[in-house]
Amino acid sequence: MASLEQNTDNTAVLIQNLTRKFGKFVAVDNINLTVSRGEIFGFLGANGAGKTTAIRMLCGILRSSGGNAWVAGIDINKKPELVKRKIGYMSQKFSLYNDLTISENLTFYGGIYGLKRKVISQRSRDLLDRLKLVGFRNRMTGALPLGYKQRLALGCSVLHRPRVLFLDEPTGGVDPVARREFWDLIYELSDQGTTIFVTTHYMDEAEYCNRVSIMDQGRIIALGKPTELKQEHNVKTMQEVFFDVVQPVIT
Amino acid sequence: MKRILAIARKEFLHILRDPRSLAVSILMPLMMVLLYGFAIDMDLKNIRVGVLDFNRSAESRSFINEMVSSGFIVESARLSNRKEIEPGFRQNKYRAVIIFPADFSLSLVKDPVTQIQIILDGADGTSAATVANYLNAVTSRINLSYAKEDFGLDILPIETRTRVLFNPELRSAHFIVPGLAALIMMMICALLTSIAIAREKETGTMEQILTTPVVAPQVIIGKIFPYMVIAALDATLIFLVGKFVFGVPMNGSWFALAGYSLIFILIALSLGLLISSVAKTQQVALIAALMITLLPTLLLSGFIFPIASMPAVLQYVSRVIPATYYLEIIRGIILKGVNWYPRMGGILTGMSLFLIILAIKRFKTRLD
Amino acid sequence: MIAPVLYLIRKEFLQIFRDHAMRGIIFVVPLIQLMIFSYAVTTDLKDIRIAILDNDKTIASRNLISALVESDYFKLVSTAPNPKHLRHNLLTSDADVTLWIPLGFSEDLATGNGAQVALNVDGSNSSIALRALGYTEAVVRLQAMKSLESFIQASITIPSNQTPSTNWDLQDEDQIATSPRIVPQIMNPRLIEPVMRFFYNPTLESRYYMIPGILVLLITLISAFLTGMAVVKEKELGTLEQLMVSPLTPAQLIAGKTIPFVVLAYFELAVATTFAILWFKLPLVGSIPLLALCALVYLLVTLGVGLLVSTISNTQQQAMFTVWFFLIFGILMSGFFFPIENMPVIIQKITVINPLRYFIEIIRGIFLRGATFDDVLPNLLPMLVIGLVIFSAAIMRFRKRTK
Repeated sequence: MASLEQNTDNTAVLIQNLTRKFGKFVAVDNINLTVSRGEIFGFLGANGAGKTTAIRMLCGILRSSGGNAWVAGIDINKKPELVKRKIGYMSQKFSLYNDLTISENLTFYGGIYGLKRKVISQRSRDLLDRLKLVGFRNRMTGALPLGYKQRLALGCSVLHRPRVLFLDEPTGGVDPVARREFWDLIYELSDQGTTIFVTTHYMDEAEYCNRVSIMDQGRIIALGKPTELKQEHNVKTMQEVFFDVVQPVIT
Repeated sequence: MKRILAIARKEFLHILRDPRSLAVSILMPLMMVLLYGFAIDMDLKNIRVGVLDFNRSAESRSFINEMVSSGFIVESARLSNRKEIEPGFRQNKYRAVIIFPADFSLSLVKDPVTQIQIILDGADGTSAATVANYLNAVTSRINLSYAKEDFGLDILPIETRTRVLFNPELRSAHFIVPGLAALIMMMICALLTSIAIAREKETGTMEQILTTPVVAPQVIIGKIFPYMVIAALDATLIFLVGKFVFGVPMNGSWFALAGYSLIFILIALSLGLLISSVAKTQQVALIAALMITLLPTLLLSGFIFPIASMPAVLQYVSRVIPATYYLEIIRGIILKGVNWYPRMGGILTGMSLFLIILAIKRFKTRLD
Repeated sequence: MIAPVLYLIRKEFLQIFRDHAMRGIIFVVPLIQLMIFSYAVTTDLKDIRIAILDNDKTIASRNLISALVESDYFKLVSTAPNPKHLRHNLLTSDADVTLWIPLGFSEDLATGNGAQVALNVDGSNSSIALRALGYTEAVVRLQAMKSLESFIQASITIPSNQTPSTNWDLQDEDQIATSPRIVPQIMNPRLIEPVMRFFYNPTLESRYYMIPGILVLLITLISAFLTGMAVVKEKELGTLEQLMVSPLTPAQLIAGKTIPFVVLAYFELAVATTFAILWFKLPLVGSIPLLALCALVYLLVTLGVGLLVSTISNTQQQAMFTVWFFLIFGILMSGFFFPIENMPVIIQKITVINPLRYFIEIIRGIFLRGATFDDVLPNLLPMLVIGLVIFSAAIMRFRKRTK
C-alpha cells in the first residue's frame, strides 16, 4: 500500500479487482486498470456493459462489492467523500439548472465545492472566456442551444480544478462542429495536467483518446492505445476494433 | 374507432402499470368511503364534562348521575377548586365544567330558583352550542322530575313528536356517501385527466401523438375514456359500499341515478380538459384542478358545510358549482325516492353542454 | 461547512422566485385558500328553513312560532295549508324542518294535558338535520319550561312579593291536598337554572376554531408538497446526481433542500396569521414564540414526509399522488372537520400516529385558549417523536441512495 501512495504523482486512477454485484447480476466483474496523470482515457463499451456502474464507483457514489480503487491517490471505499473533492463529473444529461442563468449555474457549482466567492468570480470569468460564453453570461440556461449547454456543463464540472474529470457520454446529441470544439477544450485541460476519464458511444472520438479500454459484460476485454489496438486487430478504425472484440461474445 | 381504442388502451396501461395511479384511482376512493362512513359523525358523543362540586350532597350527585346516564356525557374530571378550571380547558380535558355552589341543596328547597354555573369552552363554537343544548336538556329533565315528585305533574306542557324523514337514525353515512361519490368523480375526471394530459405535454409525447393521423376528437375521447370508466367504476363501488356496508337505502331508481351521474361525469371531464388546455406542467395542472374543481366540490357544494350558513357571495358561487345540484339530486334520488328534477337537471345538462363545447373548442385551437 | 448550504439555499430561492407558477402557488393561492376556507368552512347553522302549519291559531301557538322565528336559527319559508303540504316541502327540499301545531294546542297547554306539536326533519342531510333538530327542540323546550314554571307558580301560589326565606314556614293545606305526594316541608319549587358562560369565544364563532386548522393545512401544503417536488424535480433533471458527486454531505444537501421551505412556511404562517387576525379578527391569546416553536417541530414532520416521499418517487406526479394520498387521510383524521372523540375507538387509536392531529390541537389551544408550554406538551412530545422518526427515516433513505 505504501508504494501505491507514493505513486500518486504519476497515477491518477488505479483500479484493482473492482467488482460490483446487484443481487446475482455482476455489473462490474473484477476489473484492473491504471490511468496516468494527464492522460485522456477512453472507457468504451456497449450499453449495459457496466461503464456507468464503474464510473459511479470511482466517483464515490456507489459502494464496490469487492476489490478497490484509488482516485487521485484516495481510497474510494474508505474516503468516498474525499474523492468527491478531487474529481469533476459531467453526465450526458448536462445536469444544469435551466431556470438559472449561465453565471448563476457557475456560481452555484463553485459554491457547493466550497470555493470562496472571489475565487468563483475570478475563475468564472476565465472559464466563460475560454468556453466562448462571455456574451451569454446572463442568459437563462434553458434557452441555450445544446452545444452551449454542453460547454457550460463542462465549465461547471472543472471550476473547482479537479484532478480527475469523469465525462459520461459528454457529447450525446451534439453536432459534429460542437463536438470538435469540445474535444479541443478537453485537450487543453489535459495539457494542464487534468486526467480525463471519458465514456463515449462515438468510435471516432475514441481515436482522440491516449488510451482506451473496451468493456463488455462487466469485464475489460481490450486495453491499449488506439493505434496499437487497430494494429493488433489489423483494422483501420476503432469502430472495427469494437465490432471485432464485442461481437463474438454477443453471439 | 380503432385509433380511439389504441389511445384508450395506452392510457389504461399507464394507469394500471403505475401502482400509485391505481392507488389514487381505486384504493383511495374505497378507503375514503369506508373512513368517512365510519369516522364521520356529526353527533357529539362522549362529551367530556368536568365537575366542581362544592356541595357534595345527594342532590348534586343525582344531578351528575342523571347527566351521565343520558349516554352523551362522560364525567372526565373532578375538580376541587376554581383555579383548576382554566388549565383543564387549555389542556382540553373537558368541554364544559359544571359548578354546584356550596348551598346548592339548601337553595333547592329554599329559593324559587337555584342556580348552577356551567362554564363552557367556546373555542369550538358549534360544539359548545351543542353541549350547552345537551346540558340544558338534562336540567330540564331534572326539573321535570322534581315537578313530578313535588306536584304530581308527569308530562311536559308541550311535547314534541319528532320524526326524522328519509334517514330516521340520522346516520351520517347516508348523506356522506352521495357527496363522496361526487367528490371522487370530480377527482378522477378533472384532476387525473388534466394531470395525465399535462404529463404528455411535458414529456413531449403529446406532439408525438399529434403528428400521427389521429384527429383531435379522437385524441380527446381516447384519453378521457379510461378516466370515465374508472370514475363510473368508483361511483358504483361507493354506492355499493354505501348500500351493503353502511345500509344506505336506495329509494329511487338506479336508472335516474346513473343518468344524472353520467351528466356529472361529463362536466367533470370537460373541466379536466379545460384545465389541461391551460396548464403546461403537471404542477400547475394539479393546483388548478384543486382550486377549480376539488375544493369547491368539497367546501361549497353543501357536501359537509351548509350553504345557508355561508356569506352571500359564496352562496352565489355555490350556485355555479355543478356538485351543488348533483348532490341535491342524488341525495333526493337515494334517500327521498324523488327521481325527476326538471330545474336542477336542466341546469346540469346546460352546464355540461356548455363545458363540453368550450373544452373541445379550446383543445382544437391549441392543437392547430 | 455552512457556505455550500448557503449556495444551495440561494439557488433554491432563485428558482422559486423565477417561476411564475411557483410565485402564485406560494404567495397568492394560500391567501385565496384562507379566504374561501375561512368563509366556507363554517359549521354554524343559520337560517334553518322551517315550514309551519298552525291549525290552532291562538296566542299560545303564535308565541311558539315567534319564539322560533325570532331565534337566530330559523327562517320561515312557508306557512303550509295542510299536513300533506308540509311533507311536500321536505320532499322538494324547500324546507329543512316542518312544524305542525294541531288544533287544541293551547287548550291542552292550559289544562296541563300535555300539548303536542309534530316536528318533522329532513334527515337526508344529517349534518343539518341533527342540529336543526337540536335547535328546534331547544326552542320548544324553552317554551315548555316557561309554561311549566308558570304552572308551578300558579299551583303553589306563593305570593310573589314574599322572599323565599319567609315562605319557609308557610303551609298551604290546599296544595297538599291537590298533590298528595308532596313532602310537607317543601314549600318551594325545586327548580334548577343553569347559568352558562362561554370561555375563549363567547360569541361561539365557529370560524375562530376553523382558521387555526386552515393555517396548519397551508403550511403543510407548502412544506410537504414543495419539498417533495423540489427534490424529485432535481432527480428528473439529473442535477441530483451532479450534486451527489460533489463533496456536499447528505446533511448539507438535506439542509439546503429543506431550509428554504422552512423559511417559506414561516413566512406563509406569519402572513396568514396576520391576515386572519386583521381580517377575521381571530384572537391570538397565547404566545407567538411558543407557536413558532411548535411550528418548527411540525415542520420537522412535514419536511421529513416530503423528503421521504422524494426518495420513493421518480416523477413529480408520483410524489404529488403520494403526498396527496397521505394528506387526505391525515386531514380527515385530524379533528379538523370532525371531532376525534366522535370516531370509533379503533380509528381514534389510529389517529395517535397522525401528526396533524397534534398540531391542530396545539395551534387551536395557543390561538384561542392561550395554552402555555406545559399545556401543549402532551401534544408536542408525540409530534416530536413522530417528526424525529420520519425525518431520520428520510435521512437514512436519502443517504442510502447516495451510497
